[in-house]
Amino acid sequence: MIDYFALALGHGLLAVSLLRLVWRDDLDVDPLLHTLKEEERQNRKAASVAGRNARRRAAREGDGPSDDERLRSSSVSDSAENNA
Amino acid sequence: MLDLIFLAFIGYILLLGLRRPFLWVLLYVYIDILAPQRIGYAIIQSIPVSFVAFGAAFGGWLLLDRKEGARFSLRQGLMLALLIYCWWTTGNADFPVEAETKWEWVWKALFFAIFLPFTLTTRARLEGLALVMVLSIATIVIGTGMKTVLGGGGYENLKFFVNDNSGIYESSTLATVAIALTPMIAWFTRYGTIIKPHWIVTSFAILLIFACLMVPIGTEARTGLVCIAVLGVLLLRYVKRRMLFITAGAVLGLTALPFLPQSYYERMATIAQPGGDESASTRVAVWGWTLDYASKNPWGGGFDAYRGNTFTYEMPVKEEVGNTVAVEYREVVDEGRAYHSALFELLGEQGYPGLAIWLLLQGLGVWQMERIYRRWRHKQQEGEAWIAPFATSLLLASLIYIVGALFQGIAYQPVMLMIIGLQIGLHTYCKRIDSARDELALSERVSATTRRDAELSGKRKPPHAVTA
Repeated sequence: MIDYFALALGHGLLAVSLLRLVWRDDLDVDPLLHTLKEEERQNRKAASVAGRNARRRAAREGDGPSDDERLRSSSVSDSAENNA
Repeated sequence: MLDLIFLAFIGYILLLGLRRPFLWVLLYVYIDILAPQRIGYAIIQSIPVSFVAFGAAFGGWLLLDRKEGARFSLRQGLMLALLIYCWWTTGNADFPVEAETKWEWVWKALFFAIFLPFTLTTRARLEGLALVMVLSIATIVIGTGMKTVLGGGGYENLKFFVNDNSGIYESSTLATVAIALTPMIAWFTRYGTIIKPHWIVTSFAILLIFACLMVPIGTEARTGLVCIAVLGVLLLRYVKRRMLFITAGAVLGLTALPFLPQSYYERMATIAQPGGDESASTRVAVWGWTLDYASKNPWGGGFDAYRGNTFTYEMPVKEEVGNTVAVEYREVVDEGRAYHSALFELLGEQGYPGLAIWLLLQGLGVWQMERIYRRWRHKQQEGEAWIAPFATSLLLASLIYIVGALFQGIAYQPVMLMIIGLQIGLHTYCKRIDSARDELALSERVSATTRRDAELSGKRKPPHAVTA
């Protein structure tokens, strides 16, 4: 009788625990690690946008070529090499 | 009927695993600990449930899991080295047939422990594994505790679900594992997220810890009593009110004394007088034999090498005649006595290299858990506050297991290998958080520098732009 009670209680708790676990998205994706990586991605994105804007501004003020100009010049030189 | 219920439960987890394949890993853990195929007595014995669960766990991880953050750690490397070394000694064993029999389950336990950390990539998974381990052991312990309280205990008398004195169903092993898991049970009362903290959870945990403490009483396992004492001493480091803890422990112990049977006192008395008991006497003799054997076979004699031992020793035998008790020392010849200690088990079977690997594996675990405890103990946020107490529970589990293993041949105990898997999983998880933090800090510095440069270039406008 005690054995059956222990088996029923143990298996009941296991069944409920596993059922709760199966509906949790954080079982496969850890929220803390995900948040940290997401913040890092945002920072890198912000850094790259800010950097690009700065270069554009500098180019407008005559300090150097803008990203667009750099792209254009590289594609021109590529096509010139291909034609050659 | 019982078989069908077990099969239905296994089928239920297999079904749940279709949505989250990690649950198949937990299914294997449950089957490996509780062994339902050994509890049942009909159809379930003919179905290789353990093999099916392992196939699902490994296949599910290989084909369906994200595997994000899975790393091969140093301790997994140590277990792999031990596995390969065991394979080599099995091929050169003194007793090839017996060695092969032990190898059959040891390699599976080691392989699963090496595999387990690859699957433990999130907090929920670490907690899920800990919970399934605790509840699987609880299923055995609840029955054991109830039988003890209701008066069904006694050395080699207490009946488990399986009564072949093997694996977790060996009384001393169960006592050691149950005591080792008590800090983890307490952890769930504060930091659990699957079953959240609640007074019902706390009440259940207190009763379960009580049942765990009853296992050494009910089975009269001396090692269990030593483990309880060690746990009490170790807990002094973590409790805030030490005097209250010591007083409460003493009061509880003294209150329990009148309820203990005479046979318990007699058996526990042999801890201090090992010469009065054959099981204890032979330990010392076997350990001496193993040291001698290892000096001649430093590379080990393969599994079950102890079968070659034979020795004679003198043991006191009491004879009562009327009111007088005569103690006579008789010579006892013994052979094929087991090691009764994991250290000597490893030394005899795997030689000095195997023992060194095992000690390093256990020592590194203790060191890593201690480092995690120190590094994370001041964290207050919900996402991190659980880490230090979890590391502490695993640290205590390791230490209690090591103490228990000094007196039992449980070097390859599957549950304790799973604890090692859990420790590796936690260590890797913490390293991943640290690494993600470092990368975040770097990205913040880069972002701040770029922003500053952008602002500076914005300010460096020519005078005509300002006047315009």
